[in-house]
Amino acid sequence: MEKPKDSTYSYHELNAMLNLYGPDGKIQFDKDRQAARQYFLEHVNKNTVFFHNLKERLDYLVEDEYYEKELLDKYSFEFITKIHDYAYSFKFRFETFLGAFKFYTSYALKTFDGNRYLERFEDRIVMTALLLAEGDEQRAMTLVAEIISGRFQPATPTFLNSGKAQRGELVSCFLLRTEDNMESIARSINSSLQLSKRGGGVALLLTNIRESGAPIKKIEGQSSGVIPVMKMLEDAFSYANQLGARQGAGAVYLNAHHPDILKFLDTKRENADEKVRIKSLSLGVVIPDITLDLARKNEDMYLFSPYDVEKVYGVPMSDICITEKYQEMVDDARIRKAKISARKLFETIAELQFESGYPYIVFEDTVNRDNPIAGRINMSNLCSEILQVNTPTTYNEDLSYNQVGKDISCNLGSLNIAKTMDSPNFPLTVEAAIRALTAVSDLSNIASVTSIKQGNDQSHAIGLGQMNLHGYLARERIHYGSEEGVDFTNIYFYTILFHALRASNLIAKERGKTFDGFENSKYASGEFFNKYIQNEWKPKTAKVVELFKDSNIAIPTQKDWEQLRDEIKKYGIYNQNLQAVPPTGSISYINNSTSSIHPVASKIEIRKEGKLGRVYYPAPYLTNDNLEYYADAYEVGPEKIIATYAAATQHVDQGLSLTLFFKDTATTRDINKAQITAWKAGIKTIYYIRIRQMALEGTEVSDCVSCML
Amino acid sequence: MSDMLISSNERENKMKLASKISRPVNWNKIEDPIDLEVWNRLTSNFWLPEKVPLANDIPSWATLRPDEQILTMRVFTGLTLLDTIQGTVGAITLIPDALTMHEEAVYTNISFMESVHAKSYSSIFSTLCATTDIDDAFRWSEENVNLQRKAEIVLNYYHGDNPLKRKVASTLLESFLFYSGFYLPMYWSSRAKLTNTADLIRLIIRDEAVHGYYVGYKFQKGMELESPAYRAEIKAYAYDLLLELYENEIKYTADLYDPHGLTEDVKHFLHYNANKALMNLGFEALFPHETTQVNPAIMSALSPNADENHDFFSGSGSSYVIGKHEATKDEDWEF
Repeated sequence: MEKPKDSTYSYHELNAMLNLYGPDGKIQFDKDRQAARQYFLEHVNKNTVFFHNLKERLDYLVEDEYYEKELLDKYSFEFITKIHDYAYSFKFRFETFLGAFKFYTSYALKTFDGNRYLERFEDRIVMTALLLAEGDEQRAMTLVAEIISGRFQPATPTFLNSGKAQRGELVSCFLLRTEDNMESIARSINSSLQLSKRGGGVALLLTNIRESGAPIKKIEGQSSGVIPVMKMLEDAFSYANQLGARQGAGAVYLNAHHPDILKFLDTKRENADEKVRIKSLSLGVVIPDITLDLARKNEDMYLFSPYDVEKVYGVPMSDICITEKYQEMVDDARIRKAKISARKLFETIAELQFESGYPYIVFEDTVNRDNPIAGRINMSNLCSEILQVNTPTTYNEDLSYNQVGKDISCNLGSLNIAKTMDSPNFPLTVEAAIRALTAVSDLSNIASVTSIKQGNDQSHAIGLGQMNLHGYLARERIHYGSEEGVDFTNIYFYTILFHALRASNLIAKERGKTFDGFENSKYASGEFFNKYIQNEWKPKTAKVVELFKDSNIAIPTQKDWEQLRDEIKKYGIYNQNLQAVPPTGSISYINNSTSSIHPVASKIEIRKEGKLGRVYYPAPYLTNDNLEYYADAYEVGPEKIIATYAAATQHVDQGLSLTLFFKDTATTRDINKAQITAWKAGIKTIYYIRIRQMALEGTEVSDCVSCML
Repeated sequence: MSDMLISSNERENKMKLASKISRPVNWNKIEDPIDLEVWNRLTSNFWLPEKVPLANDIPSWATLRPDEQILTMRVFTGLTLLDTIQGTVGAITLIPDALTMHEEAVYTNISFMESVHAKSYSSIFSTLCATTDIDDAFRWSEENVNLQRKAEIVLNYYHGDNPLKRKVASTLLESFLFYSGFYLPMYWSSRAKLTNTADLIRLIIRDEAVHGYYVGYKFQKGMELESPAYRAEIKAYAYDLLLELYENEIKYTADLYDPHGLTEDVKHFLHYNANKALMNLGFEALFPHETTQVNPAIMSALSPNADENHDFFSGSGSSYVIGKHEATKDEDWEF
């Protein structure tokens, strides 16, 4: 056990002092910087394997099977030396203790016994750049600059695994359909194991599974519904993890009109029976517009047996627009149904969100209205930002594939908004990110799940995300959710979209190849571009005009869009999907960002994670003089968060992980009202609901920053 | 207690016992708003150990050295013992002393949650340890003189006949005696070990913080009814008892933590919490500021606020509460 020394504090203690006011009543930022320094002196430097030179280091790492030889062989040693020196020339230093701690604990290559480090931050970036540049030296140099300057940060699986010989996949996120037969259910569990083993999370669609009490082989009352399937999945995920680096994680989505919907939600009850309680699986509810409409009228909503729906319509329930067919199904005697109060369902959802943070919500019809791709979106993923079309897989009697459908994988990476606004070349920063993510898609080959492989091969879908919005706004002395804040968000995402499409178009041109089904998309028809060509998009506030002007970033004009439309109609785009804004946990700490486009959870954030323990993280650019711009998410409140997300959503083809934050004085009604506001504002999905409960007066720890600010 | 000084509390109690009229508790007529506030807080904090994915700590448990595992198990058996006393004896003996019926109801809640806590430690054991190791640790707790002495002192006062003294004993237990044990899971969590266990302990701390505050508050209300001389006697008694427990606690702490070199650090933590317990009773601090400088990592880890930002995929966190239900109205649905 480490014993605290008498006179000096350990790095953990120094870091914890960030959460306690100093004698002068101010936040002790210097203590965190000391903690970072101390961490290197006491821990990192002492535990890093020493090599005399780069050659010796690389030879050792290749010989002992730490690094992939094939990757290094794509480049000359001269070039590797050059890019290595280039990376170190940036003189990178971690801004916070947590950034450094997180990197070395979770990302840096370690000796097989797990005791010593074989990499510094610069080395990890070089390996990532070499992999994603696919042998192109110039692109590798560009990527090193983009990543080390903090503008672009690949998602955890990519950054963690690039170039390592013993590793998981580069992709973080998978979405699988489960159909109403035993072959498909069993295949889903198998695929979940395989995908968890290879990293990242898996979401499954359960909407099509027949409800409990439905007939099996025409014998009534036989099916046990979706709960036992969830139980099996939960066990599968807790069994598989990525070489211990990441716990397997899963989510399940169910349509609000599935007859098991209340049982599904009750699995998260505090007092649920052990037989049905779901602890670590995440839940999501898919809500069509009709449900809200019925709740508005305070009417009952009908739940439909997926078994009967599939028999009547010849397609699984998930592939039907419930809103459109609702009345027809209500009137159809062949479809077994039950009814519950629509408002009651929303109240139950809110109750559960109080207790557990779940379920996520997907507003199905909004999602499909805004989807430029032909086909139907019926689910999302573990972080509710991936929204792509899928098709079912069918099986033969011997469990082989009859027809391989299309399932979804998505690789992510995020831009740091503050650093991207500071970029010397904004279009190039976006392009480099799109190319890097495309490389991840090209390099991915998930052979163990054929439907995922097929989906990726056909769609080359990627998800460019954004983070550090609040950090940037605060640095520029703009309040989160203010008129200027929302105005900036709108124009920033508008400009990003333009360059993302331009980059994807460039790749399509270079390769003479688009994603499968481009010709049926709203990009090909040109419909997608109407809103940008028919309307003028420009900043509404002087402050935002000034910010873009000072950064030398040209805001695309209607004429620019016309040109881009014509290019895209002619050459297409390479990626079926381009943007998705993830919640960015770990990578935002390394990158010194605020998470995603959320407001900060706290000025000094208390972070608890399996591998880290409890650590403290100061909001980026926070000083004792600009505290007022760091109102936390609970103070900011749901309306401003929704307004900010709505401004971004209109320029994002997939989704954005939107968490809503409430003080503990909130009731289920407040949550419901926020959900209605979000739906009205065109929000596609809602991620977690978080409730903050402050200590009862008289029981709090005195002098604690996170309690008092 | 001297014969001259008869507690008015006791008088009232005797009268209450004599009258024996059964009255239904009316929550629409609140005599002390703190009763309702605490009741609401306790019920919205309700939790069960099954909610915390303790099994995720198994890999981390395996990284502890054998002596560290033994220490951890002993600490938890010690805590189990205290919670058993508090759940089956402590909180229940406070019920007859209650000044309001709502206070009685709060004690029943406290008593139940203490039993939940006692069971939680068993959940930790059964998830992380082998049965023989658990048995060894329980035997240790039965044989450790200082732990047994601690239980005995507290039990004596619970079985005694003075309501104010009972409350002092209870507050010291809730706000002071538990913390030599709570130190360890907080220590582990600040070093990225057993973080889900720490979440569970933090839920317990969240409850104990409210319990200690409430019983202390009721003690102060009771004191207000007493004569200055009697108040002084009780106060002297409280400090005596604290010192008696403190002396024993130091030995118990040394038994546990000496081999790991953490005793000094735990002592600071004990001083801090002893002062806190006195504060709950409305008395001034005993230990000087310098001796209460708790290791910042422990101090920060302790915060009972539910404001930490955890990674949902590896734990459930200690921040969720049972919500207040309110139906939506027509105007909410205007669109």
